Amino acid sequence: MTHRARSTGVPPGLVAIAVIGVAFVTLPIVGIVLRADWSRAGDVLPSSSTVTAFRLSLTVATAAAIVDLVLGVPVALLLTRVPFRGKTAVRALVVLPLVLPPVVGGVGLLAALGRRGILGGPLEAVGVTLPFTTTGAVVATAFVSFPLVVLATEAGLRSMDGRLEDAARAMGGRRWYVLRRVTLPLLLPQLVAGGVLAWARALGEFGATLMFAGNLAGRTQTLPLAVFEVTQTDPRGALLVALLLVVVSIAVLVALRGRFLGSERRGSP
Amino acid sequence: MRFLSRRLAAISVALVGVGFVIGACGDGDAAGENSTELVVLAAASLTESFGDIAEDFEALHDDVEVVLSFGPSDGLATQIIEGAPADVFASASGTWMDAVEADGGPGTQHRTDFARNRLTLITPPDNPSDVRSIEDLGESGIKLVLAAEDVPAGGYARDALANAGVAQQAESNVVSNEEDVKAVIQKVLLGEADAGIVYVTDVTPGIGDDVHAIPIPKDSNVIATYPIAVVAGSDHADLGSEWIRMVTSPQGQAVLHSYHFLPPT
Repeated sequence: MTHRARSTGVPPGLVAIAVIGVAFVTLPIVGIVLRADWSRAGDVLPSSSTVTAFRLSLTVATAAAIVDLVLGVPVALLLTRVPFRGKTAVRALVVLPLVLPPVVGGVGLLAALGRRGILGGPLEAVGVTLPFTTTGAVVATAFVSFPLVVLATEAGLRSMDGRLEDAARAMGGRRWYVLRRVTLPLLLPQLVAGGVLAWARALGEFGATLMFAGNLAGRTQTLPLAVFEVTQTDPRGALLVALLLVVVSIAVLVALRGRFLGSERRGSP
Repeated sequence: MRFLSRRLAAISVALVGVGFVIGACGDGDAAGENSTELVVLAAASLTESFGDIAEDFEALHDDVEVVLSFGPSDGLATQIIEGAPADVFASASGTWMDAVEADGGPGTQHRTDFARNRLTLITPPDNPSDVRSIEDLGESGIKLVLAAEDVPAGGYARDALANAGVAQQAESNVVSNEEDVKAVIQKVLLGEADAGIVYVTDVTPGIGDDVHAIPIPKDSNVIATYPIAVVAGSDHADLGSEWIRMVTSPQGQAVLHSYHFLPPT
């Protein structure tokens, strides 16, 4: 494709619609900024409940992203590299959490891992309780953000030059060695992108966490749950807390775009 | 390819157009029938009883549709103060009706108390932690679920625990502060919580077999008084006061009584 400076090929009408589109997703954020009670920022933001929830959110989201990577990368390898029957169905199931209402995910997690769930008995036998625990919050957020790691890794594997791995194998590299020294390093940008996207999704997760892990300050009350609770009685104060989430999310997305997603290829005309 | 994508675009545009037309028709129909919506915001504990009363009310008013929105009283009061279009507010505590009347809120008309309620202890049917009384909630290791403190049901529950002399110990057993009283029931119904404190009216015939209710004795129990009022500035103030008359009428009181609410005085 050759590009010429002005003729972008995009009709002006479309640009107008695009502007509406950008406004559509931006206006709510502007609304939060305008509506927040800034005079109380000094009280609300450093308050112990906000700090506790923020810290818990960072911990939970980070743990969830790690769980997603540990479980998701093998799934992506399985889906791209191993031929087997029913792959389409498996892929659909694996991506399902992305489109499932999170509350439904939370109910499903209770049915699977709750005290009365499918694995509830065995888990209890080894002393693991998930509902109402921080670990439970990690499980809920990891469930919801899991597909992001799988999809990012899969995309990376598909666009990877397989000849490098072939060459490594031809030179006698064992499978684990090739995976560790060739495949994963080549995949690094997608792993980081997937991990960070999953982290950001986990940071904003609400419904599954509330359903599966409950809402207790310091244990399962992540920032979105704290925002929700404060909204019931003090919506303007809640907006300040919500802005914390917005700022962190924007920072993550900007960092991602600059370094890894790189859809705007540098140096292109 | 090009042809296809053009066709897709055309189809999309057509669908959007059809959507608009259908939307417009919907509006037209509503206006044509002159039907009026009465928006009633009510405490979650009124879900079943107000649902029944709304059916009776609509049967008496051909052209009226009662739109019920249930939730925690504190959250509903906040919605009203923030300007949500509400005609009637029924709260599980005077505190949140006061908030609507305070500076910054729209104010109310025709405020009156219409019911009272009490609390009960609930456990899963098999009662895994063998809870027998409200005092037992102070024993360590019990997974207790309450409504959040600002939610009336959560505030009353903590009052009752204080009356029973186990406020502190019980608070340390709380594993989740739920959004409203119905969420408390849900956690007990799912068997994840060992115990919860809800209103007696929440143990409805529909869930009677799925939870085990343990009465809280009079000297520990708390009486919740429910006020109702028309939200000042409502476009349907007359209809709203009719709703209040319905709720306080013998017919409405009979419905509330059938769900074990107490009369207002």
